Amino acid sequence: MKVSQIVEGVLFASDAPLKAEEIARADESLDEDLVEEAIRELRSLYDESGRAFQVVELGEGYQILTRPELAPYLERFDTVPRLPRLSGPALETLAIIAYRQPIGRIEIEYIRGVGAAGVIRTLQDRGLVEVAGRSEGLGRPLLYRTTRRFLEHFGFASLEDLPRPDELPILLRERASLEELLGESPDHDRLP
Amino acid sequence: MSPGFPPSGRSGDRRRAGLGHPADDGRPGAFEKASGFLLVDLDRFQGPLDLLLHLIRQQDIDIFDIPIATITDQFLAAVGQIQAGDLDGAGEFLEMAATLIRIKAQMLLPRHDEEEEEDPRAELVRRLLEYEQIREISSRLSRAEAERARRFPKGYLEFRPRGFVEDTPLESTWEEVLDAAGGMDLTHPRSRPHRITTGQVALEEKIQLILDAMEASARVEFSKLLAPWKSKMHGVITLLAGLELSRQRALTLRQARLFSELWLLRGDLEEWARSRAELVNGGLAAALREPQLDAWDSVGEDPVAAGPDPHPETPESDEEGGA
Repeated sequence: MKVSQIVEGVLFASDAPLKAEEIARADESLDEDLVEEAIRELRSLYDESGRAFQVVELGEGYQILTRPELAPYLERFDTVPRLPRLSGPALETLAIIAYRQPIGRIEIEYIRGVGAAGVIRTLQDRGLVEVAGRSEGLGRPLLYRTTRRFLEHFGFASLEDLPRPDELPILLRERASLEELLGESPDHDRLP
Repeated sequence: MSPGFPPSGRSGDRRRAGLGHPADDGRPGAFEKASGFLLVDLDRFQGPLDLLLHLIRQQDIDIFDIPIATITDQFLAAVGQIQAGDLDGAGEFLEMAATLIRIKAQMLLPRHDEEEEEDPRAELVRRLLEYEQIREISSRLSRAEAERARRFPKGYLEFRPRGFVEDTPLESTWEEVLDAAGGMDLTHPRSRPHRITTGQVALEEKIQLILDAMEASARVEFSKLLAPWKSKMHGVITLLAGLELSRQRALTLRQARLFSELWLLRGDLEEWARSRAELVNGGLAAALREPQLDAWDSVGEDPVAAGPDPHPETPESDEEGGA
């Protein structure tokens, strides 16, 4: 059995992204490097033969997904699973958590100017964020971070895929600590 | 919308985006005059910062020099439409209104030292810029989400269900509860000396463990054998047991490369059982224990050469080791 066949079989049978090291568990002769090499092989094979699907890198792993160009055809079928889209508040809250993680609820609420408890709860329920620990600050509030499922949902291979601050039209404010935000005299020196 | 349009509250006929109109006809000055009649659908906005940013951007106001009096009036006009029964979320708008009024008051106070005192608007501007950026990021996330949604997996992708423990709104995380439980210092009600010596990890036990695992599967990962135990001694003895069984040709050890997963491949167990039975009369325990030192030495010299197979990369070698 060729390595690429084993890797292809494992990817085909999985309904979620698999890391190279997870795929390597299929056989004792495999390791991460061999799996990644096989994935490169499969990718060029699929491209050359015009397959309807590709090996996509997302959620820190690999998954076989259909090509985006097929969406108009597949969307006609009720049996094809659709990813539920997130609301505006959910996206804004996720954006804050993704860039500032780990971050507490108070800080999120300060940035958005509205309460965040309900949205965070929903994001937790959908497995997009999780508790990362507790801040050392007053009341030891819970801190949140994004999950692997967050990366899967947006098709990111890793957090590196998020738009970088220098690509953004507005300069990213330097990260303020929770203490600073809760403090009585915020530091105004950084006003542009 | 004309300034004279009567406020119709939050009924179905309401005119949305009323605040945008003064900017549309390019007369920001008219905005203030009209503010008493302006309608704003607060549901359109995701909070006070969103509304403020909308007011500023719609009127092409320089965010670094906000006419705070004008903006405060416009903001209050919008907030004033929140009806008594619609207080859900109103608190955040009212809090921002209070902040604006405070800033407006501070702006009126004479400033003694321009060098030392910061502009009262500074923190608000910083928040607005930051919020504007978060909005930009979230619209990018939305595009990424839409792009991702155009690709489909082979089957139905279910949400991973969350466990019961996580569903309960706890003040403490489960890890913290476990940590606390583990750290408790339990004092005994009465002193009754009861000495427990931890039993030695028996090699025979580990050999049996491996044999049981081999019966279930022709290939076993070494790490799986260790999973139930934390102590290093279990690891050492399990490795010795594996080496011993490999020496007796009951199995073959295989490792793709240094520090990668160690695999145990089943050999000819029937053949092995026959030779083992012959040993029973001669003292099985001795036969099992004796080679420990040898095995230990070989580990010390070269952990990679654990298996007898000189070609670890060859996948189809299940048979050669045990035969």
